[in-house]
Amino acid sequence: MALLSIRNLHASIGDKEILRGVNLDIEAGEVHSIMGPNGNGKSTLAGVIAGNEKYTVTDGEVIYKGRDILAMPVDQRANEGIFLGFQYPVEIPGVSITNFMRTAVNEQRKYRGLDPLTGSQFLKLMEEKKKVVEMTANLANRSVNEGFSGGEKKKNEIFQMAMLDPTLAILDETDSGLDIDALRIVATGVNHLRRSDNAIIVITHYQRLLDYIVPDFVHVLYEGRIVKSGPKELALKLEKEGYEWLKEL
Amino acid sequence: MAQGIINQYRQAAHDLRKNEVWRNVDFAPQLTDDMVLPTAADDAQLQFWCNIQGLEAHRIAFVNGAFKSDEQSEQSGVVCCTVGEARRSYPELLGKVLAEVGTDGNPYADINGSNATDGLFLYVPDGMTVHQPVQLLSIANSDKSLLLHLRHVVALGRGSSLKLIQCDDSYTQQGAFSNNVLLASLTEGSRLEHYKMQNLNDATALLNQTFVSMQRDASLCSVGITLNGGNIRNHNVVRMTHEGCSTEMHGLYLIDRQQRCDNYVFVDHLAPNCKSHELYKGILDDSAHGVFNGHVLVRDGATKTEAYQANRNILLTDKAFVQSKPFLEIYNDDVKCSHGSTIGQLDNQALFYLMQRGISPRNARTLLLYAFCDEVLRYITVDQLRDKLGDMVKKRLHGELSACLDCALSCSNTCGCTPPEFKIDLSSTK
Ligand SMILES: Nc1ncnc2c1ncn2[C@@H]1O[C@H](COP(=O)(O)OP(=O)(O)OP(=O)(O)O)[C@@H](O)[C@H]1O
Ligand SMILES: [Mg+2]
Repeated sequence: MALLSIRNLHASIGDKEILRGVNLDIEAGEVHSIMGPNGNGKSTLAGVIAGNEKYTVTDGEVIYKGRDILAMPVDQRANEGIFLGFQYPVEIPGVSITNFMRTAVNEQRKYRGLDPLTGSQFLKLMEEKKKVVEMTANLANRSVNEGFSGGEKKKNEIFQMAMLDPTLAILDETDSGLDIDALRIVATGVNHLRRSDNAIIVITHYQRLLDYIVPDFVHVLYEGRIVKSGPKELALKLEKEGYEWLKEL
Repeated sequence: MAQGIINQYRQAAHDLRKNEVWRNVDFAPQLTDDMVLPTAADDAQLQFWCNIQGLEAHRIAFVNGAFKSDEQSEQSGVVCCTVGEARRSYPELLGKVLAEVGTDGNPYADINGSNATDGLFLYVPDGMTVHQPVQLLSIANSDKSLLLHLRHVVALGRGSSLKLIQCDDSYTQQGAFSNNVLLASLTEGSRLEHYKMQNLNDATALLNQTFVSMQRDASLCSVGITLNGGNIRNHNVVRMTHEGCSTEMHGLYLIDRQQRCDNYVFVDHLAPNCKSHELYKGILDDSAHGVFNGHVLVRDGATKTEAYQANRNILLTDKAFVQSKPFLEIYNDDVKCSHGSTIGQLDNQALFYLMQRGISPRNARTLLLYAFCDEVLRYITVDQLRDKLGDMVKKRLHGELSACLDCALSCSNTCGCTPPEFKIDLSSTK
């Protein structure tokens, strides 16, 4: 059974329909890449899977670990292992990353019936994961994303992912705005997570990232539907030929 | 006697109904005809000293208007007694201070002047730093509705410094009306840190008036935290009469039900090179009503002034409301000034971000609200006080503080209320 199975998903913002029948199956152990022109619904799909109430689902289903999760609250989906790396991470003045992550890690542990981490256990975990993204100590004590550069925000998303060790990670343009070094770091973070029991969806505009994170499948989301799926070579074709040819499909 | 005073208040309210500074103020709901002035018979025991864990402080209390002291010896040279005592023992010193600082002549200050039973007189000599904070408690603990008037005088000698924690609390659910005036004279190079904690029951009204006069290079940091109270008006007037002064004037109000909290701040820049910075933040729930009325006056000669004024509010319901009036009045060109006010709700995308990491909606809300409050709490330099207030704010945000119905004074560890149980660590970012 697939880890994630999306059937005929329709979703809208206000009365504007954005997703118009998405179908997608993802097995544990796989990495899928979603590409597609701007404004065609990639972030919308990610948001709907994570449970952002900004979007209204009008039809279809999202089956995760064998359960339809569309009625499940956002925090419960997260506790079930769904992680969204935001295209635009939100700035939260006054909440330090340390406190934010400690709260999140311990709530997730509680959900799974585990004892909360003690202060020192938590700090140890944090040190370990900070290394994964080569994060400076200084960043971890600052307010969440406040005044972070674009690249720092993206690294912070990968750091959080590493801390929470999700089952299904959706990374929405985590590579945008990254320099080559940061790109390598982010890719290392993702590959670090890659295991046989979890799956990753990488939303990107650039073939470049896929040199580091080699996907099992590439999908093209166009006008609210997945119009083309294929092996990683599809990304190369898109890079060369753009999206024009899709219109003839 | 009391009836005469009540009538004076009603007359004052009537006379001031068109006055910009006072027209929002309405104590009528709390000023009931059954109110009485405290007598010797109302001298109640102080149940506890509102200890703040880990904080050594010199504590002074007025319980139903009657003076108590915890008898700790103060640093030599510091004068700490009642104003009545000062009148007898230090008439010259008191006279000198009162010549330096006065009220703004508002009718409520006048009513206080003619009816004040007593107050604290605190004098710090030149060059002295008072190490332990002085905690000044005003507590109502009576089965009658008391009408209380205290008038405190604080005088800082040149280059001296003092931390004053002023707590206004009610001990029972009985209503009261308290009109307090604090006059502070900050001479050259002195520094006052003034913390105001207000945790009163819903039937109580408090008019807390503070008048500060500052001489050359004096500095003031005032942080007022309103956690509960039926009807509170903080009336702050700061006059920077000489060069080089700095004023930090901040406030936080967390109000719900039918509560009212009104903060008025008037900062008068009379001399060059002075700074003032105001940050007032409020969270309003249910049908609570907040007012921020800030007036910064930069006079003709007050060149190189820096003045910043901000008021930020979060409304949790659509019945809660706030009137925010930041106002800069500037009479010279050589200034850096800004003012702003916001009234909004919690940011839904920030909530989504927190919940997407597995944080429950309740904790996500509390985290965001606490972060909002923390920006004001950070101005408190007394660590134990900041931690204590941080806990109380968390309790308040979780709706636990006002639930302690037996004791409006939930700030005390000794009242039997359980300390805040908080599974998530919300300590401030530094
Ligand atoms: N709050 C909103 N109100 C109205 N339309 C919106 C809103 N948010 C997004 N949209 C629209 O929904 C459509 C899909 O947006 P989405 O963010 O899913 O695109 P995307 O494929 O992620 O694009 P990009 O590659 O630029 O990130 C766009 O046309 C966008 O303008
Ligand atoms: Mg997008």
